[in-house]
Amino acid sequence: MANTETTLKECLASIEGATGVALVDYTSGMALGTLGGSKTFDLNVAAAGNTDVVRAKMRTMEHLGLKGGIEDILITLTDQYHLIRLITGRGGNGLFLYLVLDAKRANLAMARHQLKKIEEDLEV
Amino acid sequence: MTVVDSPPPRLPVRDRATAHQRAGAGVSPMLTRLAEERATGVLDREHGTLHLAEGRVVHAESPLAPGLDEFLTAHGTLAAEDWRDAEDSGDGGRLLRHGVTPGALELAQASALYDAAYFALAPSSTPGRFRYGTAHWLASVHPVPVAALERETLRRRALLRRIWPDPATDGAPLIRAAPVAAPAVPPRQAAVLEQVDGVRRAADIARELGRPTFHTLVHLRRLAAAGLVSPQPPPPVLDVPPEAADPYVALLKRVRDALEAL
Repeated sequence: MANTETTLKECLASIEGATGVALVDYTSGMALGTLGGSKTFDLNVAAAGNTDVVRAKMRTMEHLGLKGGIEDILITLTDQYHLIRLITGRGGNGLFLYLVLDAKRANLAMARHQLKKIEEDLEV
Repeated sequence: MTVVDSPPPRLPVRDRATAHQRAGAGVSPMLTRLAEERATGVLDREHGTLHLAEGRVVHAESPLAPGLDEFLTAHGTLAAEDWRDAEDSGDGGRLLRHGVTPGALELAQASALYDAAYFALAPSSTPGRFRYGTAHWLASVHPVPVAALERETLRRRALLRRIWPDPATDGAPLIRAAPVAAPAVPPRQAAVLEQVDGVRRAADIARELGRPTFHTLVHLRRLAAAGLVSPQPPPPVLDVPPEAADPYVALLKRVRDALEAL
């Protein structure tokens, strides 16, 4: 696998409309790496907050007795898409990629597909 | 009569904003100073050790946290003898030749570093000691600025407090509790819960599972909040009968008993 920096760069460079990306550990809520973002959009804060989203969804599935795993979670804002992709690699249990997209420029289906590819390459 | 119309001198008031900043920077003032002077060497603290290179933290160890070797070998990424081989030669490149990908090594090192540093930077009762020296052999894998490490450590403390404010499950041997309506437990927490046997502490469970200790603390606090786990109460202080200790007291008691029996 490429290292985290290369992976994050690849996300921003190859996915149309991507404005920020973070690799996050969802037990501790720590971003292991971030790229992009801005003064008004702190990816570290977003990473920590979105761990609660992932956890809540996992708990709900547990309560419902659903056996499948989460592949990705999409959150649609008026002007942004937030895409969370859980990493399923060998040792990558407990990590997710968090991608922020500009809704005007992004192609959602393409972005999901590319993020899946990048996640497979990550192979932590 | 003279009228004093100049206002009384302002009393010194502690500026809350800067006081807060100082408290924030106060994880370890020594570490902050070492970062400023871009020091290289080893900082020994009560609960762990931080390795610095050029003022950045490059490696951390704590008896309470599993080491990088344990993360890499626990999940079959690396054989134990391959780790020893790399460690003995002090060559990080050997790990990569033994089949560890650079990304996996970097992420495992980052997890191990933040985990051990959380304990190393815990409030201590003894002063830290710094030895200037050469950089750690894994210095280039994932260096972390001191400010980022301190910020993360404070965030981690706050996270634990938010989940469940009682720190008792962090260090004590743990026992299972049986709440009336036990909530469903997610798989990663369930693995932790299975290890709770009345003897193991959080750090032992983390080693057993090959996971960071801080993550185990998070799971345990959630389990404690759900009422599924509680710290082993300290053993009752054994009331050593004073008779056993002091023959005169024993004799006097027997005499008293005899007199009472008359």
